[in-house]
Amino acid sequence: MPAIRFVRLMSLPLRLCVVVFASLVALPSVVAGPVVGKLELPPPPDRAPAATKGFLDRQENALAPARPVSVTPYMLVTLEGGEKSAAPGQVTWDLVGESFARPVIGAPAGAEVVIKNTSRIARTLVAAEDKNLVPAGPINPTGPKSFRVTAPAIFTIGDPDAPHLKGKIVVVSSPFVANVDESGKFEFADVPEGAYKLRVFYKDAWLEATTDVTVERKGKTEVSAKVPALGGGKK
Amino acid sequence: MFLAKIWFFLVALVAAVAITIALVLPRPAQRVLVQEETQRLVVACGVIDILLGDDARNRVELAGAFSRTQEIVTALESASGANTIDEARMKQVREVGESVMKTIQGARKPDFAMLIDRRGRVVARVRLDENDFGDIAAGRPLVDDALAGFLRDDLWAQNGTMYFVSAAPVIRRDPPVAYVGAIVLGHQVTNALATKLVSSLNVDVGFYLGKDDVAGSKNIAVDHGPLLDSLKTLQGGDLDQDCQAAKPIEISTGKEYYNAVVARLPGEAALKNAFYSVLIKRPEAVGFMGTLKAVSQSDLGATKLLWPIVGGLFLVMLVGGIAFMYLESDRPLKRLTADAVRLAKGEKERLGEDEHPGKFGSIARSVNIAIDKLGREAKTAKKDLDQLLGPAPEGSLGTIDLLATSLPPARPGGPAPAVSPPPSDFRFHDPGPAPSRPATPPPIRPGTPAPVPPAMTSRPPVPPSQFSAPPRAPTAPPVMSLGDSLDDDILGSVTPAVPAAPMLDLGSAGDVDSYFKSVFDQFIAMKKSCGEPTTGLTYSKFSEKLEKNREDLIAKTGCKEVKFTVYVKDGKAALKATPVKDE
Repeated sequence: MPAIRFVRLMSLPLRLCVVVFASLVALPSVVAGPVVGKLELPPPPDRAPAATKGFLDRQENALAPARPVSVTPYMLVTLEGGEKSAAPGQVTWDLVGESFARPVIGAPAGAEVVIKNTSRIARTLVAAEDKNLVPAGPINPTGPKSFRVTAPAIFTIGDPDAPHLKGKIVVVSSPFVANVDESGKFEFADVPEGAYKLRVFYKDAWLEATTDVTVERKGKTEVSAKVPALGGGKK
Repeated sequence: MFLAKIWFFLVALVAAVAITIALVLPRPAQRVLVQEETQRLVVACGVIDILLGDDARNRVELAGAFSRTQEIVTALESASGANTIDEARMKQVREVGESVMKTIQGARKPDFAMLIDRRGRVVARVRLDENDFGDIAAGRPLVDDALAGFLRDDLWAQNGTMYFVSAAPVIRRDPPVAYVGAIVLGHQVTNALATKLVSSLNVDVGFYLGKDDVAGSKNIAVDHGPLLDSLKTLQGGDLDQDCQAAKPIEISTGKEYYNAVVARLPGEAALKNAFYSVLIKRPEAVGFMGTLKAVSQSDLGATKLLWPIVGGLFLVMLVGGIAFMYLESDRPLKRLTADAVRLAKGEKERLGEDEHPGKFGSIARSVNIAIDKLGREAKTAKKDLDQLLGPAPEGSLGTIDLLATSLPPARPGGPAPAVSPPPSDFRFHDPGPAPSRPATPPPIRPGTPAPVPPAMTSRPPVPPSQFSAPPRAPTAPPVMSLGDSLDDDILGSVTPAVPAAPMLDLGSAGDVDSYFKSVFDQFIAMKKSCGEPTTGLTYSKFSEKLEKNREDLIAKTGCKEVKFTVYVKDGKAALKATPVKDE
């Protein structure tokens, strides 16, 4: 090993100088700035029929118009393309009572999904698409349940005893996946330089429209994408 | 009897038809009753569905009123702005909720209330799980809709309990108008609720969560299997049409049977197979006895023509039966009886066969055949007597008859006639005393002249007792009187005989000869009285004949003595020999 022998022969100050130089040379190729964006949301869709119905149909109150349907909790965005992260990491999903904290979450393929039950009710969660995805057994209050998603897919997680309790895990191939806030804003941190495609997921499926995103070497990349009209969906 | 038989056949037919109607008629009525009960079941189910809808409407209105309470609005608006819900806030909001709950008037006070902030967090619970707070209730369709501004109802199933829940948004009405939360009111499905629902329907209702009973108007432990099977047939259809779509079923409690119809319950609870069933006790089989039991006093008097018709039919059947029996049985029998009486009296020689219809004619024919047979037998007997005694001198002696010994000594109906009839003239007689018949003469005793029957008055008088018997020997056997020797008194058409010389104490030849002489004299007198010639008839021949016959008769019958009786037969004098036995 001549190279190792050469390093050993160098003095300590010389070694430090070499490391700093190498870092300065290599950094621009693996680190980039954040990508922030905002979705131009379409007018809210019509409210879907009630998932359940009592003896009567629901009726609007006489004091104020009904609140518009909020679509952003059911949206997430991802950047496809570029280099893949070596360590997808962990995604945490809170079960907050009668619902998940977010009805839709994204997870990079290979990531570990940890569901935390923050409610007082034990739940038994099952993925409709893969019965073996979620480990068997109830998730007790304050207890977690973790599993790993290996490939891009869409999983519907629910409790058979509480049909209203449902959430979706959207597994993507990209490490860059994020939720959207009420105003349609989103942010990816540390996106390497490169060309990407921004895709939007809504409720049950990916929207067909994509947006090209080019991440520059320096600075924050801002993205704006227009979301086509959305249907009421099943919710 | 033909018409009577036809009549009885018709009566039996009418009775059979009536019984058939009585047994069969309740069946259609039973079927109609079951159909009516089934229809009533369906109607009751529909009514209960309507009542549940009305109840839901009232509950939603109550939730709306609750949510408009200013204290609630203020409390939830404040809570919505807080990052966390602490216990102090929970208690403060709960007190507000409790105070509002107390103001609710009416019978249907909520069993619980949930106060939810704009974020979907449960700020406080009232009267149920009061110490739980801070959890997210958003996610349940009812809560989501309420937070979105809708009023609605739902059914929740929790821990085996079913709740009718209603929710309303809590809105700050002061500008800017904003949603600050929602309230949920819950009414537990209880037996009282079920009882109230069916109070005016005369049915029972039960609420179920799958196999579990939740509540009911009556504690009916039914088998859930048929109910769940019926529930499966409703899958996919419109819940509002369940009462019409569900086929009524029969269920059993082990002791009682019910007709039931099931209908699904809506809401979240429907996902746990929540349903209700309307039950009616299956009507008992009416049947004939059941119909009778069900007859009331008003039924009997419902139709004015009922009893006249029934009474008329009864009278028609009764009168018809009696009439036909009289015409075909009683009257012919009466005629036959009268005919038989006339036969017995000798007014007729035979029964009129053509006068009596049917079986009575057969009886008459049978009687006539018997008469003919007896006549033939009597002639045969006479012939045998003639063979026994030898033929009487032709044209001189007349007939010698020995019939008396073949007849019974006496008859139960009365004394025997004075003389016995010739065998060929044997007749039946009426068992009662025949007024037209001559009085029965008293027994002739030796030395007593035999009385002349009245019938003899039209005839030449017969010297009565000039035929005195010879003196009786002390050891002579008892004389069988004519009354004893002749059994039947049917000699009406026969001229009564001149009593024989009642002696028979023939101890010596001289006595016999004198007895023969007296008989001879009597015979000659009788022939003369009958206008018969007596020339050529000498005592010697007469006595010889008598002696021969006497000896033969004694030899053949073993009697002690023979009595000879002179009588008239067919207008001619005749002589009869009668063996006299010892007593």
